[in-house]
Amino acid sequence: MKAVGASLPRYDGVAHVTAASRFVDDFSLPGMLWAKALRSPVASARILRLDTARSATMPGVHAVITHSDVPNNVVGHQEVWGIAPDEPLLAEHEVRYVGQLIAVVAAETEAQALAAVQAIEVEFEERPAFFDMRKAWDSDQPHVTPDGNVYFYYPDQPQRQIRKGDVAAAFAEADVIVEGVYRPGAVEQAPAEPASALSVAEPDGRVTIHSTSQALYYSMDITARHLRMPIGQLKFVGGTVGGGFGGKIDTLTEPVTAVLALKARRPVKWRWTREEEMLCSSTRAAWHVEIADAVTRDGWILGRRTLTLHDAGAYMRTSAYACSKHTFHLAGAYSIPACAFNTFVVMTNHVPTAAMRGFGVTSASFAVETHMTRVAEVLGMDPWELRLKNANRVGDTSPSRVVYGNPSTVTTLLVAAETAGVNLPPEQRAMTNAMREGALLPAHLVEQQRKPETHLLAWRDGRPALEGGS
Amino acid sequence: MAVHRGRGIAAIEYPTGMNQGGDPSQAWIKIKPDGHVDVFSGTVDLGQGSKTVHTQIAADMIGVPHEWVTMNNADTDSSPVSFGTFASRGTFIDGNAIAVAAYRARQRLLELASRMLEVDPEDLEIAEGEVSVRGAPARKVGVAEVAATASWTYGEMIVGSGAWMFPHVEPDKVTGECEPNAAISYAACVAEVEVDDETGEVVVTRLIQVYDVGRAINPVLVDGQIQGGAIMGLGLALLEESYPYYPDIAHRGPEFGAYAAPAMADLPELKNVVLEDPDPVGPFGAKAIGEMANNGQSPAVIAAIHDAVGVWVTELPAKPERVLRAIDEHREPRREGRRVIFDEHLSIATVSPPERRPEGGWSFPLVDVQL
Repeated sequence: MKAVGASLPRYDGVAHVTAASRFVDDFSLPGMLWAKALRSPVASARILRLDTARSATMPGVHAVITHSDVPNNVVGHQEVWGIAPDEPLLAEHEVRYVGQLIAVVAAETEAQALAAVQAIEVEFEERPAFFDMRKAWDSDQPHVTPDGNVYFYYPDQPQRQIRKGDVAAAFAEADVIVEGVYRPGAVEQAPAEPASALSVAEPDGRVTIHSTSQALYYSMDITARHLRMPIGQLKFVGGTVGGGFGGKIDTLTEPVTAVLALKARRPVKWRWTREEEMLCSSTRAAWHVEIADAVTRDGWILGRRTLTLHDAGAYMRTSAYACSKHTFHLAGAYSIPACAFNTFVVMTNHVPTAAMRGFGVTSASFAVETHMTRVAEVLGMDPWELRLKNANRVGDTSPSRVVYGNPSTVTTLLVAAETAGVNLPPEQRAMTNAMREGALLPAHLVEQQRKPETHLLAWRDGRPALEGGS
Repeated sequence: MAVHRGRGIAAIEYPTGMNQGGDPSQAWIKIKPDGHVDVFSGTVDLGQGSKTVHTQIAADMIGVPHEWVTMNNADTDSSPVSFGTFASRGTFIDGNAIAVAAYRARQRLLELASRMLEVDPEDLEIAEGEVSVRGAPARKVGVAEVAATASWTYGEMIVGSGAWMFPHVEPDKVTGECEPNAAISYAACVAEVEVDDETGEVVVTRLIQVYDVGRAINPVLVDGQIQGGAIMGLGLALLEESYPYYPDIAHRGPEFGAYAAPAMADLPELKNVVLEDPDPVGPFGAKAIGEMANNGQSPAVIAAIHDAVGVWVTELPAKPERVLRAIDEHREPRREGRRVIFDEHLSIATVSPPERRPEGGWSFPLVDVQL
């Protein structure tokens, strides 16, 4: 029997539903300490004084760490892509969001650790905070970072952008211009298992880290940067994760417990409470998307302009990546010959936002598809027809000039209509994903059409393409 | 006071693997002396069953029963790089690395079987855990026997390693030109709703969802992604918000009891259809399903609400107070010449008019994006 194509049961399914699976929090070691954190109660403040002396003498306490204990405190989640580090593991002279980590205690029990956290003395000077990303450029708004509230992809260009075709001509030619604003909100990844880590300083100088990370090598890289250790000095152990949805790409518990374990010379476990997971971990970003479409009376989209703001929260995490990805998908499942897309990463005093299922594209799909239905309404056209007509086809080009090789927008729409019991006219039901021709290849789409070529090969006659041969 | 029905649609697309590529996966495979197969890759199973999919790929690529394949938990000492379980890359990119590793382990098996059977490896095939001579199926030897002979008689080891990556690309600064992804998946979603114009409550009664995933390596796990995605998508559309008064930070929900995430009771009737238009690059033709499964619901639901009660709610979630407010205000778009302008009250031009920005300070290219 072939395995591929078979509905085989999950290898871990029985263990999961009988509570036999072992997650990070199920591991304990002799002498293990528990971590608890002091977090910022305010959205924006200078730290005037931070004193852990009394906390360090509390019963059961083996280590208290602040930023000065972290070998390399400021690291970025996108350094691997050349984006400058901006986020302190533990706050230094300021805090930029409610819940930001300031100091962490390792003690023999969680209760002792919590008591010691409460004994840390800290003084803040609160500052006005910045929250509404639409006001990022206003002169009367406070700045979240010393460089302002807008990230710059290039020294002279803040936005990630797409420019394709003659946008001005498309808007000049249009019969109707439809404009709208779309604002999907921030939500929680809300995994069943909160972020947890258990770090062990090994006798040979290495550090073993049991991690809930969705990406062991990626989190190991970030942890190694904080510790100033080669990745070979670290061993990440993981693989069974109780839901991530993007939130467990953020790497905080691993470096914090590693620093504590190295300082205390004892294994240290930190398991976030549900409240920490809900309030202090990253969320899906809130987005602000403005779209203007240049359309003809008979339902062709000639051009599209967009302006997107992405609420990155207080630190970059993976926002620049998300906004690039977002920008490439603002034509949605359609072929639009003229595009001018502009996407801005805006820093605010919200909790940093980061990856969540559909990262960057969920917001684009919501904005584009809601706008498509509106365009149909304005034109008095059936929304199925508008979509089928403009749907990307073999040989059409994407906003970043990729030639579609095997799009299936037309097919998925037709099957959806049939399944929903929607009776489309025969000429629509006869449509396919094949290259445009005839009435479906109007003048404005001719120039963007290309012959698709498969230049990327993984497999050739069942052999890896790298192996060569026939 | 009435309940109104409506229907809305959405067509979506979603990339497989990280945007702009450069996200490698590696795998290695060893075959034990009894023919059983161990797969190693630094990938993480988040609960979606990705490792089951990976063992299915390895089993068929080598030609052994699926029960013979084990994929243990990862640690970075024994398992090679997987960039991570995100960006809808598990089946496709980890899967390709595992498929290549399995292919090479199979080649090694064939070499050793060729020594035992004295037949050219090109003339051998493997299926169901047996190596046989093409055209003379009676001449065969079990994979277990080959593996045992390799270990105990020949003093050899059967391993295979593989890697796969879509190379990193940088977009052009001005035009954005680049090929950012290895593959794209497509889907369509139809939402049917009931809207109560007195309470503002929206109930989704049925979702029709059609996904082209190239090839469903494991259909029941694909369906699991679609069902789970539907729940999350409905949460985005109707219920969930980290900041109930966004952008204000007050009244955040610190626990599940204070944060309205949908539960199974909120799941409407689902009609899921999976199409298989094989991808030329993915393992066995597969491409991603993971993330896109929560992208189609919110635009389809918002269109359905409009179909039901004639108003647009373009701030998510469409909670009862937003729906009621939209019904009460019943905003019409402003028309100016050819322009039909919706949501003007929400736009940056209204909230942050140019006179609020420092003079000459910003080279903010609104000129270029004037809407």
